Parts: sequence; C-alpha cells; structure tokens
Amino acid sequence: MTKLLITEITRMGPAFCVIGLEHGQQRIQSIRPVSSTANSWLHFPYQRGEILECSLTPSCGPPPHVEDRVSTRGFRKCSTVAENEAAGYLRKAECSDSLSGLFRCRIYENKRGSGTHVLPTEARRSICGCRTQNLRLELCGNELRATLVLSSGELLRDLPVVDRDWLDFMDAALAEGRGANRAARFERFLNSQFHYKIMSCPHHFVRIGLTRPYRDVCWLMLDTLFPLPQTDWLEEF
Amino acid sequence: MARHSARLAEGEDSFRLIVNTCFRGEAGSSMPLPGDTADLIETGVLDSMAWVSFLRAVETASGISDLGSDLNEQPASIASILAALRSSNKGSLPSVDEKRGVAGDISSSAAFLTGSSCVHGSRVVPSEEVDRVFRMPVGKLRNRAGIESLAYAAEGESELTLGAGAIEEALHAASSGAQELDWIIATSETHHDYPALAAQFHSRLLVRENCGALDVGGACLGLLNALAVAQSLIGSGAARTVAVVTADVHSRVLTPERVAGEFGGLFGDGASAFLVRGEPGSSLGTSYRIGDFLFGCAGQYAAAIQVAARIGGGLEVQFDGEALSRAAITRLEKVITAVETRSDISRASVGGFATHQPNPRLLTLLAKQCGVSADAFPAICKTTGNLGSSMCGAALHAALQNAAQSEGDQRKPIFLASLGPGLLFGGAWLTPW
Repeated sequence: MTKLLITEITRMGPAFCVIGLEHGQQRIQSIRPVSSTANSWLHFPYQRGEILECSLTPSCGPPPHVEDRVSTRGFRKCSTVAENEAAGYLRKAECSDSLSGLFRCRIYENKRGSGTHVLPTEARRSICGCRTQNLRLELCGNELRATLVLSSGELLRDLPVVDRDWLDFMDAALAEGRGANRAARFERFLNSQFHYKIMSCPHHFVRIGLTRPYRDVCWLMLDTLFPLPQTDWLEEF
Repeated sequence: MARHSARLAEGEDSFRLIVNTCFRGEAGSSMPLPGDTADLIETGVLDSMAWVSFLRAVETASGISDLGSDLNEQPASIASILAALRSSNKGSLPSVDEKRGVAGDISSSAAFLTGSSCVHGSRVVPSEEVDRVFRMPVGKLRNRAGIESLAYAAEGESELTLGAGAIEEALHAASSGAQELDWIIATSETHHDYPALAAQFHSRLLVRENCGALDVGGACLGLLNALAVAQSLIGSGAARTVAVVTADVHSRVLTPERVAGEFGGLFGDGASAFLVRGEPGSSLGTSYRIGDFLFGCAGQYAAAIQVAARIGGGLEVQFDGEALSRAAITRLEKVITAVETRSDISRASVGGFATHQPNPRLLTLLAKQCGVSADAFPAICKTTGNLGSSMCGAALHAALQNAAQSEGDQRKPIFLASLGPGLLFGGAWLTPW
C-alpha cells in the first residue's frame, strides 16, 4: 500500500484530477493516481491535506505525465495534516525558480492570443512547485486566470486556474443569492484583500501543472494555490 | 449628424473586422464564423482556454485593455464582445482616414512624420576582425548571424555628435530650423552620463531655451516609446514640432574586456532622427501620418537578456541567444499581426517593415514567418550590426528613403515593430500623406 498526502485536486471538466506526495526513501515526489479507464475521477470525496492509503501499479505514465500511477483499489483516509505542513512538504518536492526548470524544457507562448505551453516530447514532468514574487488572480470573460512572477523575475500570464477549492470559492462568490454586481465585487476582492491574504501568508505556495496533450501541446495551468480560500472571506465583499 | 452616423458605422465595421480576424486566428481560418449570439463555449466552438485567448487577441487589436472584465456575467458570444467594444469609452479606434491611408481632414490630434535621417559610425570594421578581437572563431559573426561588417564610431564620434548630426539632417530634410523645436526627445541604450543626452542635444543645437528636453528608455524599443511621447505631446497641444532622436555607441560599452563576443560582437554604432509635427510637410507626398501605438511587456522572456552594471566597472550580462531569438521572432510576428488587425492594413500592402533587427539571419526568418518578401525589411544590420535603440530608426529611415523613390500617390504604409529587454514590445503604423 502507498500513502499519499493529497496536495492537488483540480477541476478537469466534470471530473477531478488528483495528485499526492509520496515520501520515498530519499525524496518526496508527486504521484497522480488514475483509474484504469480515465485520468480523472468523477467522484473524489477527499480534501487536500488528507493522507490516503491506496494501491498503485509501479509503472509510470507516458511523458510528460510521468507521475501517473494506476490505482487498483479504492482510497482509504488515514489522517490529515495542516495546510502549512502540506505546503512545507510541497517545497521539498519538485520545485523550480525559473521557467525552464518547471518542466525541464522550453516554454512556448501562444502565437495568437494568450496562454503558455510546452511540447509533450520535450517536457520531463507535468507538475512543479514554485515560489512567486507576486501573484494576481483575475476574472476574464467568466474564467479565472492567474498571472505570476517567479523568483527569476520571469512571468507567467493568463494561467487557467483549475484548483478545485479556488474555483469553488469563485462559484460561491458569484452565486445568485449574493446580490447585485457579484463579478465586480469579486474582482475588487481579488484586487485588494486577496492580494494581502495570499502574499502575506507564510506558507504561500503555487504549483503549476500541464494539461494532457491537446493538438500536440500541453498548456500550463495553476493547479494549486496555497493558502486555500476560506468561506468567511465571502463576507468581506 | 450624417457624418456622426457614418463614423459610428465605420466603428462598427472596425469592431466586427477585429472580432472576425481574431476569431479566425484562434479557431482556424477554415472554421465558419458562428452566429453572433451563439455561446462559443457551450456550443463547443471554443474551449475556455481558447475563449480567453480570443478575448486577449481582441484586447490587443482593439486597444481596449479590460474587455475580459467587461464580459464577466455575459454569455461567451460574439454579440457580447461587440457590445462590450461598443460600450467601452476607452477604445482607440483608428480614424477612417488613418486606416485607409488616404488624405482627408486632419484632426487636431494628428501627428505627422515630416523628416528623417540616419547616420552610422564612420569606422567600418569587417566582422572577421570583430571575431578576432572578441577571441571568437573567425567567420562566426558572418556565418552564424549573417553580419558582414560593423559600423563603429571613429575617434571624435559619440552619441552626441552622431545624434546631433542626425537631427540636423532631419531638420534639413523637412526644410525646418532648430528654433522651431518645442521638444527634443532622446533615447539611447549606451549613454548613461549627465547632463542627459537630450540636454546635451539641446545645447549643441542651440534650440530655444523653452524647448523641452526629455530622455526616454526602453533600449531597442526606445524609438517607438519616443515617437509615442511625441505624438501625445502634439495631440495634447503641448507641442507643434518635436525632434525624436536615437543614438548608440556600443563599441565603447560592450568591449571584449566586459562582455562575451557572442553578445558584444553583434552591436554597432549609429543614430537616427525624426521630425514629428502637428501638420504635414508643405510638399505633397512627403509626410506620413503616425497611426496608433500598441505596447506591452512579455515578462516570460525577462531572463533571456539582462544587463546590469557591476561594481568596478564591469557588466553582468545574461544572454540566452537561442531563447531570445525564438522570443524575438514570435513576438515581432505577433506585433505585426496586431498592427495589421488594428490598422486594417494588410501586411501584403505594406511598403516597408521598420522593425528591430537583432541580426540579418533573424530578419530573414522574421520575413519568412510573416509571409512577406525579405526585401520589405531594409537589411541595415548586415553592414552595421545591431544598432540598439537606433536600429528601428535606421530601418525606418531606409524604408522612408525607399518609398521616396516612388511617386507620391504610389507610396505605401509602413509598419513599425520593435522589442526591448523585458521583453518589451511595441508596434505602430505610418500612412503616406
């Protein structure tokens, strides 16, 4: 049995993609449990920070999704670690301070509009953590997008936010029952209190992931943003 | 009233054109245009990634920077985008006359380029000699970058002398005098002394004491920054005549003792100058109206080139030539596409492309990437090397000189596109007047 500290739960259409950390003998590495029939889970009733027991096949997935392992049985929750502790473990897993180090390959910009991608044949992994000098979330045409500056001073713009908790927070913020001008109020929150809450948090941390290959490229996305949003923040805007 | 309605209709056409062009760019040229009210995400025409990419392309092309925000809580449809474009009061749609490149009424905010010039360092050095000085294999600059020779400043030449000479020539070309200048706007990536370069030009040219002197940065993007400031000064009524000047002497900064040849060996010395006025020149067919500018910064390439002063007089240079080359081609092509969409001037009908020229090889590659003849890019850097902030100016002057060979009514628009460390980017267009 493998013990995984769940660190990523991302929305992929109607399903969820999950990544956890495995504490090996020499290092902490990311593992993406997948079912034998799909890369994501239609039902995943667990939270980040939970440690789950699972049974995984030893073979890796095809590059760049080398973290994939087929789960042969269900998950069983063992225990839970605090958010700051989970972020601490993430810092000890795959990390990079530069763009080229994220997936150990070149990063390409979309030649037409926005977005950044890698070539599946060049990328060596599909998930990586990074420290950020600054970070901004923005609602663009109803889609949540992130722009961030790495320690190297390099910038990633318009990353789709797929973090389940942050998307749930956005949905709650824009829920009809919250009155008028919801999008404008949410944007004001993102431009003010959000920035302070995130950047002043001592365990602030970001993980960038790659989509599955689509039309020969894998797009970069914001898989995880620590700290996670808190429900009582909704009362602030 | 009728004129106002016509203007509205033109604006509507421009918005529609921008939206259609950007949609085709995102979805592919073979994709039929969806109905205006169709939700592009719900109907599966675009995924959420492509939807945002499409919006960003429309923002760049229209100059309306917060379109994505205006579309929150709206369907992801073309009708929503058009409505947001219409309701935005920050749009900077080019005027009808500007877009078409034909003479017409002159608005109070119009700015015209009425004179230009360019000078190079007078010492021409074969690239093989530069290879040797930088201790590189002989032939490297020629074979790898396509540079045949470099223009270096001779003894007695400096940013001041080269730039002042360029301004005087530009004034002469426009049949103007230095006393007419309301502002001098200077840019240089090699002059870091005080008094600043614009102040030195002010004294050297003996302009009026109340002529302003301003230095702007941006390195290789400096010319576009300076032209945009000049246009704004004229548009605001603060100036009638502005001299924009670039001047760079790399050969005394990027020396073999301070930087590697793969970087320092690429650069030459030169200057360019342009006269920008609120009205066209007196001779018909000699002026160009300056269109809109678009600017931005692609920070993902920030690490590809970084230069910082070191204690003790050295330079700390971070230069990833391969990454920078890729970024330069991608970005310049993207800027040209945005200028094309925004101006409604097809790149095929452009007379010249005055772009930054990192080296001749990349220039050829850029022409190929853009699908236009390499002849439309005046290949200055082949014999001078990369002139830094003066590169785009040298190319623009050459494009204007080439156009002057044609009859007035045969001249075509000129596109400007340049880059600077950051990665800063900018573009604009000129239409013959």
